[in-house]
Amino acid sequence: MSKIHIDDETLRPAPRRSNDRVEEIGLGVLGVVLLVGGWEYAAYAGWLNPVIVSSPSAIAQAFARQWQSGDLMKDLGISLAEFAIGFSLSLVVGLALGVAMGMSRWVEYAADPFIWFLYASPLIAFYPLIIVWLGFGSTTVIALTFLLTFVTIAVNTMAGVRSVDPQLIRAVRAFGGSRLDVVAKVVLPASVPLVLAGVRIGLGRALIGVILGEMFSSNGGLGYHISFYGAHLKTADLFVPLTTVVVIGVVMTRICAVFERRFLAWRN
Amino acid sequence: MSSLPSQAEARLAPRAAPRAFQRALQPWMRAIVGVGGVLVFLVVWQIVGSQDLIRSDLISYPTEVLRSLYAMVASGELWANLSVTLQEFVLGFFPAIVLGVALGLAFALSRRLLYLFDPLFAALYTAPMIAFVPVLVVWFGVGLVSKAVMVFLSAFIPIVINTRTGVEEVPEAPIRALKAFGASRWQIIAKGLLPGALPAIMAGLRLAVGRSIVSLVAAEMYVSVRGIGRLVQVYSTSDRAAEIFVLVLVISSLGFLGVVLIRRIEAYVAPWSAAR
Amino acid sequence: MSQLALDRLHLAYENQATGASFLALSEVSFKVERGEFVTIVGPSGCGKSTLLMLIAALLKPTSGALSLNDRPISQPGSDRALVFQDFALLPWRTVLANVELGLELKGVPKDKRREAARRYVQMVGLRAFENSFPHQLSGGMRQRVGIARALSVEPEVLLMDEPFGALDAQIRQVMASELLRIWERDRKTILFVTHDIDEAVYLADRIIVMSASPGRIVKEIKVDFPRPRELAIRNTPEFTLYRKQIWDLLEEQIRNSGSWEQGDVEPAVAS
Repeated sequence: MSKIHIDDETLRPAPRRSNDRVEEIGLGVLGVVLLVGGWEYAAYAGWLNPVIVSSPSAIAQAFARQWQSGDLMKDLGISLAEFAIGFSLSLVVGLALGVAMGMSRWVEYAADPFIWFLYASPLIAFYPLIIVWLGFGSTTVIALTFLLTFVTIAVNTMAGVRSVDPQLIRAVRAFGGSRLDVVAKVVLPASVPLVLAGVRIGLGRALIGVILGEMFSSNGGLGYHISFYGAHLKTADLFVPLTTVVVIGVVMTRICAVFERRFLAWRN
Repeated sequence: MSSLPSQAEARLAPRAAPRAFQRALQPWMRAIVGVGGVLVFLVVWQIVGSQDLIRSDLISYPTEVLRSLYAMVASGELWANLSVTLQEFVLGFFPAIVLGVALGLAFALSRRLLYLFDPLFAALYTAPMIAFVPVLVVWFGVGLVSKAVMVFLSAFIPIVINTRTGVEEVPEAPIRALKAFGASRWQIIAKGLLPGALPAIMAGLRLAVGRSIVSLVAAEMYVSVRGIGRLVQVYSTSDRAAEIFVLVLVISSLGFLGVVLIRRIEAYVAPWSAAR
Repeated sequence: MSQLALDRLHLAYENQATGASFLALSEVSFKVERGEFVTIVGPSGCGKSTLLMLIAALLKPTSGALSLNDRPISQPGSDRALVFQDFALLPWRTVLANVELGLELKGVPKDKRREAARRYVQMVGLRAFENSFPHQLSGGMRQRVGIARALSVEPEVLLMDEPFGALDAQIRQVMASELLRIWERDRKTILFVTHDIDEAVYLADRIIVMSASPGRIVKEIKVDFPRPRELAIRNTPEFTLYRKQIWDLLEEQIRNSGSWEQGDVEPAVAS
């Protein structure tokens, strides 16, 4: 059949052209510049209350201050450590639980209601209980991070294990493979796409957990200082850890995208 | 999570063929085991809590939670706070739907506009919204407005992104038909792109409900005069586990009800997609 | 006076990546009389579908002129209605609402267009399915909706772009005879593109045979079977002669183009 290309430019973005990438980056930069410049000008012109709204230049100064005093690096260190521990725990428990649920109907049936409750409910409301149980500080932050994250990983891993083509399992068994061979050579590799998706979502939720935990129940870290500067009406200082958190989120998503592309090369 | 027969086979343990009565029970197994598990959990919790095997002010127990729920409803305390939370939610969520769909559509139609805002939206999409709570409180005060803005932001971004992808993924064939029968630009949008994107928009709303309830409660917990999150704070300082469990249940039900409601609306406005 | 006239149409595509130009149609001229059933047959890539898009004004020719009733064709309009190979129904609309589409876009008031749509849904035999969604229908039923939608705007010319190309062979034959039955009622002008030689002969008053790269007309063949036609005419010696004549015109191209392997062009002679 001869393919017809109806001229669609008026309705949808035209197909990518070679100079498109340049335009994309250029306009993206322009958007950020407009936002920052507009904000700065509004503050400079006195349209906004500088104490409450602050301005990009004040934020830049606050950044320099927090950088030189070492506060920012300290916060970053605390937050990233809590993040790493909480996320690693979630990864181990989530993968194990997910594989168990994917391979045994009984485990899945029994775990299902709990998993879905944890998945659907706003776990932040539990944080007062966690403080009561674990006290104030990093342990609580890590526990909250864990609670928010492991369920996502478990559910996605289960879906990944379930998505494995039974033909492949039969093939490995037919060539004399053991149950362990099946897990190592078929189930895990084949479930990688969904597991990675779970990891990506989990990373986002772990970041929420860390910031949330720090905001409400610790005395250090980026989240703590976001909350602290807010309470003291130091808007410019507040934006330093806040921007850092946003950047961490973006960087994490980018890294994930690279990983997913590399691991998923075999799919098309 | 329906398990198709082929997926059932994918489970590793090669089982012996189930006996007849087992086969008859099969469809019910999920419910039986699931409810059984929950019951066992509740009973153990009840015994451990009520017998004070672990300090009951820290873990409470099911009947005490029910009693607290009754007391909080009866005293009017729950509704007085819940109504504020609902109000904040509505004030933020509905503008987010209108503006989110409009901007998502604009992004899908104009590549330039998309490029201009894409980095900002991508950053906000991945950032934990709750980190913005303190700055919103500084900007909009401790009352209702800062919470409504929080809901708006948390809902707006997923709605924009879902609408945009939804519109971009409307199949080409119906659009071609509309053009062939002489549809104008606006008719193509109103009769083609928007209805075609509706399932994706509804999915965006479901995502948005969950996200914005979490943000809302967190914002109320950070600082507020009234609201469910405020109650959580109050009871956490007095070590009242039972009331906190009540509040957790209330908040979870809110999210659950929101999603169910959206699914209902979806089945009504987009029956072709719900039926598939 | 002929109703539809195409005069020396050229269409060149430019490949956006390489900038190379590709001639899709070259020197295509023909006329269609009012009430005539014309089929266009040719190998994959001969531009026969493109031709319909030009007549529907969804594409503009690089050069040449098109006219309908002596007025130049410049934009899509309800005097021409398309039926698509992939049906192109609106998945979010019921059968009835899909058939209403053309009238709705013309601004016909709701109750009037609904009434008209009902009539055409009835005509294609889908009365019982008027509230079904397209995904609930079989391919043949979907294309009946596509035909009803096109007829409902009461076009001067019906443009059918391999309308049965996505259907099974048996359904295809049934649909072709159904189409003739509907056509016999008011004998609207039809321009019907196909790669199925049997289908082209069975339906047509006149067959336009095209060849590929660039797409151009090789021959026009008048078909002299009386109407109304039965499916059985496919087994007559005359039919076989038409079939052979067209096959001989196309065979070499089809073999060279390789499109046969892709399943696009069926060697209808062998059937």
